[in-house]
Amino acid sequence: MKSRFNIAMSVMLLVSAPLMAGGDPMKGKEKAAVCAGCHGQDGNSTIGANPRLAGQYESYLYQALLQYKNGERQNPLMQGMVANLTEDDLKDLAAWFSSQGAGNQLLVMPDSISVSVSFKETDCNLLKRSL
Amino acid sequence: MSKFSHAILVATVSFFLSSSIFAVEGDANRGRIKAETCLGCHGIASYTNAYPTYNVPKVGGQHEEYIISALQAYRAGSRPHGTMQANAISLTDQDIADIAVYFSTYGK
Repeated sequence: MKSRFNIAMSVMLLVSAPLMAGGDPMKGKEKAAVCAGCHGQDGNSTIGANPRLAGQYESYLYQALLQYKNGERQNPLMQGMVANLTEDDLKDLAAWFSSQGAGNQLLVMPDSISVSVSFKETDCNLLKRSL
Repeated sequence: MSKFSHAILVATVSFFLSSSIFAVEGDANRGRIKAETCLGCHGIASYTNAYPTYNVPKVGGQHEEYIISALQAYRAGSRPHGTMQANAISLTDQDIADIAVYFSTYGK
């Protein structure tokens, strides 16, 4: 029983590990100098084609950089930028931009009321059908 | 080339460059209605993607042009992500433009 608990804990730790990308924002700051030209000093780019990064989730930024590095996500410019970076570099950069843009960060969209209403209606219809 | 014809050339080229991404004009109110599906994931703080695990990106206040290009890439299948490709495949250029304006103007 105890070993089952240990296994469950290990699995949970493994699953949650990527969310704690664990980069060092101060190391990221030094490495981010070249990024600033296109994405802005604090990750608030002023060019519409280049995404804002300020306040974006660290784990998402790391995932995006990783995808550029392994070629899953195609963008000649970004692929060139990350080609010589290590995975630790990517983590540090993600940590840096995630922590930037105080007062002017990306926002989570609000969950609208009508979404939850439509889910409830669907639930009701399913329930009616099953009765 | 005269200065005037040079100016016309620059204006024409920049018009075609800009019109390629902003082919249709978006409307935030239409976008708000069309974006309901999006909010099932992008409207929940710290919501996570599964396999691999990472947070679903924040899109509130993201640049309109970038959102348009991202959705177009998902629709074309050139940017990988099963769920996003499945959601984007049925979107028209007008839908994408509307959603992009709604997201980019959120909080402003």
